Amino acid sequence: MTPTDALQAWLALEHEAVWLHPVIGARHRDLLPRARTAFETHRDTRDALLRRIEGLDAEPVSTALTYDVGSLASANRARRAARDLEARISAACLTLAGVTEGDVRAYAVKNLTRAALAELTWGAKPRAFPGLP
Amino acid sequence: MGVAQATHRLDDVADAVGLDPKPQPDPEDDRLVRDAALQVSTLLALVEATASRHDGLALAPFEVILREQLAAVGGSLATTDAEPPPDDPKAALEALTEAFGDVAKTLRRDCLRAFSPALTRVLAAMSAGVAQCAQEIGDLR
Repeated sequence: MTPTDALQAWLALEHEAVWLHPVIGARHRDLLPRARTAFETHRDTRDALLRRIEGLDAEPVSTALTYDVGSLASANRARRAARDLEARISAACLTLAGVTEGDVRAYAVKNLTRAALAELTWGAKPRAFPGLP
Repeated sequence: MGVAQATHRLDDVADAVGLDPKPQPDPEDDRLVRDAALQVSTLLALVEATASRHDGLALAPFEVILREQLAAVGGSLATTDAEPPPDDPKAALEALTEAFGDVAKTLRRDCLRAFSPALTRVLAAMSAGVAQCAQEIGDLR
């Protein structure tokens, strides 16, 4: 996988996060503050990734019309969808870290930690190796 | 340690966490593996000492995580001594939180120096896992 491919895979997940969190906030009032904070974080990350990828003269992947995240009918299922997405973002950041050096690797690792901590806010338990299979 | 031994050790680390090993014989990487083992073993000794002194604190999950990490980097607890934990449980948790935070930062710094992609990923993942533990232990206070 090239660094650009890894950035694109991460961007696709950030698109999904920007779609998911408003849905969670709209359906579950008790999750609204957390969903709003998560939305703002992922929106900013998405925008930063768009700039990085455009800076590489590549065409950023676009958002999908909708995403298959399973049922969000209950608050527990919504939390599960959010933490599963953060876990996939952790994996994407870790993949990027392994194929890059310098500032891009540092950026990937910083966001790996952010995603790993975000997993906890949605009910995950700590793991020995967040992002690894 | 020679290049062949260093390569073999990095293969073991990658294999232990399910990565496909890609040997990169770099002596600096082997030093990073040894440093990671020392960091985690010292932290594990501190957790065990704190759990022994304060048996009401639910620290077992963090011991499990550190043992898993220690196994991946081939470390040993036997050679590590821990500072005595504070008598006050809250102060002991604060000391643990700070210690986990320090190790997370060190592992994050070291993963930026790694040559091997597999080692980069292992150290980065360990850093994130230790940061998760720091957050959870902080919430126990």
